[in-house]
Amino acid sequence: MIEEIYDVDKLNILDCSKLKFTKENSGYLTLDFGGRIYHKINPTRLIPFDSKNKFISISYENDEKEFREIGVIKDIKEMSEEQFKLIDTYLEYKYYMPEILKIYSIKDNMRGSIFVKSDTTSGGKTICVKDWYQNFKLFNGSYLYVVDADGNKYFCPDVNKLDKKSLQVLEMFT
Amino acid sequence: MNLCLSKPENADENIVYSLPFNLTRNAVKINGHFCVSKEKIFVYTDNKLQSEYFIREFCEIICQQQVGSSMVQGITKNGETVYICGFSQEFFIRFAELCKIIDYYIRTGEFITETDDDEPTCMKCGMPLEGAKECPYCSKKSRTMLKLIKRIAPYKRFFAAAVICTIMSELIWVLMPYLTRLIIDDYVTPKSYQWTGFTSITASIVVLLIIAGILEYINMKCSFKVALNMGKDLRQDVFKKSQSLSMSSISKKTAGEMIKRISNDAAKLEDFVTANGKDAIVKILSLVIIVVLLFVMDWRLALMTVIPVPLVFYITDKLFQKMAVCYTMVWRNMAAHSSVLHDILNGIRVVKSYGNEVREIQKYAECSEKWAKSAVRGEMMWWLTIPVAEFILTIGNFFVLYFGGRMILDNEMSLGALVQFTTYVAMLYEPIRWLIQIPRNLADTTVSAGKVFEILEEETDIKDSENPVSLDIKGKIEFDDVYFGYKVYNPVLKGISCAINEGEMIGIVGHSGVGKSTMINLILRLYDCTQGEIRIDGVNIKNLSQESLRSQVGVVLQETFLFDGSVLENIAYSKPNASFEEIVKAAKIANAHDFITKLPDGYNTRVGNKGYQLSGGERQRIAIARAILHNPKVIILDEATASLDTKTEKQIQDALGKLTKGRTTIAIAHRLSTLSSADRLIVLDKGKLAEFGTHEELMKAKGVYYKLVMAQRQTTKMKKAVVNV
Repeated sequence: MIEEIYDVDKLNILDCSKLKFTKENSGYLTLDFGGRIYHKINPTRLIPFDSKNKFISISYENDEKEFREIGVIKDIKEMSEEQFKLIDTYLEYKYYMPEILKIYSIKDNMRGSIFVKSDTTSGGKTICVKDWYQNFKLFNGSYLYVVDADGNKYFCPDVNKLDKKSLQVLEMFT
Repeated sequence: MNLCLSKPENADENIVYSLPFNLTRNAVKINGHFCVSKEKIFVYTDNKLQSEYFIREFCEIICQQQVGSSMVQGITKNGETVYICGFSQEFFIRFAELCKIIDYYIRTGEFITETDDDEPTCMKCGMPLEGAKECPYCSKKSRTMLKLIKRIAPYKRFFAAAVICTIMSELIWVLMPYLTRLIIDDYVTPKSYQWTGFTSITASIVVLLIIAGILEYINMKCSFKVALNMGKDLRQDVFKKSQSLSMSSISKKTAGEMIKRISNDAAKLEDFVTANGKDAIVKILSLVIIVVLLFVMDWRLALMTVIPVPLVFYITDKLFQKMAVCYTMVWRNMAAHSSVLHDILNGIRVVKSYGNEVREIQKYAECSEKWAKSAVRGEMMWWLTIPVAEFILTIGNFFVLYFGGRMILDNEMSLGALVQFTTYVAMLYEPIRWLIQIPRNLADTTVSAGKVFEILEEETDIKDSENPVSLDIKGKIEFDDVYFGYKVYNPVLKGISCAINEGEMIGIVGHSGVGKSTMINLILRLYDCTQGEIRIDGVNIKNLSQESLRSQVGVVLQETFLFDGSVLENIAYSKPNASFEEIVKAAKIANAHDFITKLPDGYNTRVGNKGYQLSGGERQRIAIARAILHNPKVIILDEATASLDTKTEKQIQDALGKLTKGRTTIAIAHRLSTLSSADRLIVLDKGKLAEFGTHEELMKAKGVYYKLVMAQRQTTKMKKAVVNV
């Protein structure tokens, strides 16, 4: 049996032209990388708040359930359209996070929770945020990141692009 | 937990469980149902059957949580993983529970149709319940407040005295304007020089003021006695309860949260009782009396005073809501500022060594400015709000003065009566101001009360059986098909079966997170196993009294915790009535006596947080002395020598050797060499017992243990190579 050599200290930037991903039954992906087949591939966004497409880690779990990283894709947009769509769809599912499009009102129950009435890409919703000082955050003055009481995540890539009323509502809470 | 939230239309009639799911693999929203009958799993989308699976085809059903979504997967008997459905996180806990039920069915053939686990969220407001039976946000305020009032019972005499004194002093204050009216109408307006009458009224006012002062003193004394004692009782009861709760209940709350509940929440209730307890009765009473007096004196003027009140309630509440948000922002920025300050000052060595002082100054300045800006905004808002609120509240007074003045000019009312009336109007505003604040105070207090009573009323899940056995433990321990998970959906130990003989030393080895410490926690009965049983000397530990079990098991952990106190007190912690001779003997066996003798105050040297700084090895030897003094029948060593250097480890190993001699010992160690004296080794892998035998047997088997040993040898060689370089 050939023992796999796993270099933990090397950053392996993957050449997009040598990668071929396919969907598999398990819910994960299969990767054909230079003739070698890897199953249960679980792509991960390394900088999810900064970029959805850049620096995507390609990894799997070996038989010993140990984490194994094959390498990092610098930008999945460099892949063929079909391959980009496959990975992008997988990531969108894994990081399922509706985008906040409009905020109508935010009600504070004065007990650490707020109820954010909003329009999101998955429809209108009143997002219930517990412990809002922790779970309703603005990064770099523009990226709004919200985790609701159930653990669902929502985001707004740039709050400054929201309509005037939404901004007014947000002002008190960010 | 409700696992049949909604069924698809025309669903199979044998379906027992049905949960909705809402995502496709392409992250598109759908209306789906995951249904389970005794034989099959059905997947419906838009009420149409999409796929069905025989449960018998699977050997495991997994609920896999991702970042923003989760999925149910099945592992078939030939090892293939099959995706079944996907959903957003609000369904996760229910799906995890259902997967656990299906998994149990696959393993045992028993199909559970009723689940007794608590609801994960409040059905009314959707907030997570986090183990509480009653939602702290939705529980009836009156019920919670009633519980609080009941706690006043032991001090009812003081409470009654406080209420009576307050009522009496309120009556005196109601009488004062009448006396003022008499002075104005009988002596000031007619310019009368009847000194006898004037002096007697003035003297009455002075006497009444003195009486009011005395009553106020008694009232304050009694009120504080009630509130402070009630606060003390609450704190003590919560602390007492926290000590009797199981580890699984305790682990749900952080130490900080428990401290907050014991001190802050109890203090909030204490403050509420001091400030509002008797006031609730008195203010409402004085409000009624004053309103009646006003209407008796002149109903038209009284109406002018009362009519704006509902509007005042509405407007001030809105203003206060805005204010509260403003102040929350100030608080938030202040907390962020403190956190940055704490971070930078704590890491000052790192800042300086990387030469980042300027960057940190800039970071701090930004934070400080943000705080200042929000504080200015808050203060501006406050000083804008308060005069407006006050003006709206007292607007009736202007009407009273205008129309009252006209009535005086028309001789319909005396000047004294108007002064009496306006004084009552001013007195009316005080209970109204209090009433405006009360919903907010009440809401805040109810949450604190809810949290405090949640702990007080929590039933501990690790209880002694009805007739617990007090056993003189010999040391035989058996695990019989034991399953356990800290979270129900995530089993850590799966089907562990093994027998440890009396006096045997057993090492538990395996990768991090494999369940080694969990096995120990189960022996100590800090948690109860979810399935199977653990027996000590043939008796199920659930039938052993917890006191009997824990008094005969000694534990030495990696992180030794020393309480704030002397070395002597810390060693004697395991046996408070031990003689000094016994303590020194234990310290000698633990190789601790020599270094203790060298300490500045010997055995009286203070250690712990604020005391003398001991090294890791010294702390560990005190812990071993503590365990030796305890004279346990079973000894547990959880990474007892992991954080020590080789020389210290040798000293500790010697001490441990003396401690474990002839006693059943279970030791966990990452460094496999430290388990060289173990009679047998338990090897855990993926939560299961992979191997069990002597070092030689396991090395020959060339299984998991062999790999671990080889991997560690490789690391040791690498370390040596690095040292040689």
